[in-house]
Amino acid sequence: MKREALVITAVLLLLAVVPAVQAEDLSKMRAILEKIDAQSRFDGVDFSALLTMIVEDPEEGIEKLVVRQFRRDDGERYLLLIQEPVTQRGQGYLLEGDNLWFYDPSSRQFAHTSLKETFQDSDVRNADFGSSSYASSYEIEGYGEDVLGSFETYIMDLKAVDDTVPFPYARIWVTKDTNLVLKAEEYSLTRRLMRSALFPKYAKVGEAIIPVQMIFVDELVEGKKTQVTLSEISTAKIPDHVFTKAYLERVNR
Amino acid sequence: MFTLKVAFRNISRQKKRSFLLAGAIAFGMLVITVINALTGGLVENIRDNFAHALGGHVFITGREFNERGQIISKIRPDERLDQLLAENASRIEAFTKRSQALPSLIFGSKQTMHLVYGVDFHEEDKLLASLVVTQGSLDPVLTLENAAILPLPAAERLGVEVGETILVRLETLTGQHNVGELLVVALVEDQEQFGLSAAYVSRAYLNGLLGLDPEEYQMLNMFLTDLGLVDEFTRTFREGLVKPGEEPDEDEPELTVSVGGVPLDPAQQQRRVSRWEGTRYRVMNINQIMEPVELAVGVLNRVGLVIFIILLLVTMVGITNTFRMILIERTKEIGTMRAFGMHRSQVQRIFLWEAVLLGLVGCAAGLALAGLLILVVGHWPLNVEPALQFFLNQGRITFRLSLGGVLLNMFLVVLTSLVAAYWPARAAARLSPIKALSSNF
Repeated sequence: MKREALVITAVLLLLAVVPAVQAEDLSKMRAILEKIDAQSRFDGVDFSALLTMIVEDPEEGIEKLVVRQFRRDDGERYLLLIQEPVTQRGQGYLLEGDNLWFYDPSSRQFAHTSLKETFQDSDVRNADFGSSSYASSYEIEGYGEDVLGSFETYIMDLKAVDDTVPFPYARIWVTKDTNLVLKAEEYSLTRRLMRSALFPKYAKVGEAIIPVQMIFVDELVEGKKTQVTLSEISTAKIPDHVFTKAYLERVNR
Repeated sequence: MFTLKVAFRNISRQKKRSFLLAGAIAFGMLVITVINALTGGLVENIRDNFAHALGGHVFITGREFNERGQIISKIRPDERLDQLLAENASRIEAFTKRSQALPSLIFGSKQTMHLVYGVDFHEEDKLLASLVVTQGSLDPVLTLENAAILPLPAAERLGVEVGETILVRLETLTGQHNVGELLVVALVEDQEQFGLSAAYVSRAYLNGLLGLDPEEYQMLNMFLTDLGLVDEFTRTFREGLVKPGEEPDEDEPELTVSVGGVPLDPAQQQRRVSRWEGTRYRVMNINQIMEPVELAVGVLNRVGLVIFIILLLVTMVGITNTFRMILIERTKEIGTMRAFGMHRSQVQRIFLWEAVLLGLVGCAAGLALAGLLILVVGHWPLNVEPALQFFLNQGRITFRLSLGGVLLNMFLVVLTSLVAAYWPARAAARLSPIKALSSNF
């Protein structure tokens, strides 16, 4: 009888303690998400870099894109200017808050596009050129621990807070010690894996820590992937006029 | 009656000349009849093919704001709409409720964008009957939720065969990414080979991927019993679907019929719209789509009419000259008839009857030749580009003639023949019997 009472007491204690521990861990995970977002932002400084993209498409072959990026996170702005291939030189994207414009110098027209769209038939989405927003876009559905290569990581299952987030579900692997996302998987509404992203190299740029090598794998189309490498990284002040439509038009003349 | 008999005899007497005159008239009649029949057939084929491709003669779409202020395209079950459908049931031959998307279809390392219609296969027996199956069977679509019917070119592009599963990648109505799996159960010929090929899946399944409830849909398409009722029918629905106190969206909405989300009218302007409550409907019809086609065909018909009139004028000159010659040839004969008591008006009527008979014979011959040509050309199957199939009916040129058009052309022929023969006839009537009898002709 005594033994039974002891077991019941132990179980009750466990039931009382586990949710408290879980709640504590959950808030810790939320804090990690916020840190990930915070360290991906360039607050108070501008950012520019040269992006080299290698797009591997089983049907189209391998294509190289070179893109100059100018980014100012205060005001959520960026400008992408395609430099290679020559046939697409001068095409550009301008993000101003929620509005993303695509400029084609051959037609001299701006067309409205979306952050959800893929960049030039690659596996990179226009949203990938800005800072991350895991904390505001997702809530944590589950979490655990995993070892990715030689890194101890937290693994988090994320669910979009509403239906405006392009990928309704995501899973990320975050290093325990530095809060860097090493891998991200993005899932459809039907929970099918659509895209995997690997971030093998990071660099500290000013106060921010950003991936300088990224590999995006289309998990639906066999053999389709895009590798992005950043070079010529700078946090020098970018003139205001760069983040304008007029600049995109002028830079092509 | 006597003058008609004499006129008929005169025509029979000069067979060669009559043949040539009637032949000229027949050629004009042949040209205008074929042009009219061809354009009539083209318009009808385009209308039918558009109706078939778009799934009806009258199309209703619905738009509403969601909680986050996005405009989404959907129609919920609506009593007003059901009531209108019930009230106008006698004028509706069939209607379909469809959803649609333009997703990427993926198989292995291959992908293609393709129009996909979500249809209720249990209600769309007409569609199933119209599909030409080249591989597989349509039966599973009635039982399998994710069964898909693929057009042959899409299947070839993906390298997929019946029994294999393909992925479908699309966005929900709110823009979230979604992926589904479709089991290919049948491959079909491109529907009517219009170049507007579509794949078909269950509406409930597509709705699930789009974020719609199973009973919701995006387009209500109606085939009417009488195409002449299209505009009135459209007005009835347009007025019937406006809520009390709600301003109609537009009296005559701009053409915004889209196929798989791709508008057929590319010149759409972005404009600010103020938020409204509930569903706002847009009712469009096949005539709105056909307007530019009919304008083009109208031009073609007018060109045909001009050619016809030129041919008639040439023939008219020929008739006038011929009748002048006839007048000279028959001067003595006219004198004799007048001497035996024939009135001037009777002489004139003989000439005019001859012209009328020539005109009618020419018309009949022209119509017969046109009929023969139409029969031969219409029987010949043409293997043309898919886009050109839009002008054909199952690969064949079809011809449509209106009785009114034929009668009008015949009237014009007879009238011009009468006008051409009038002056020689008047001159014949005015001949003095003495002078006529003493003439050397």
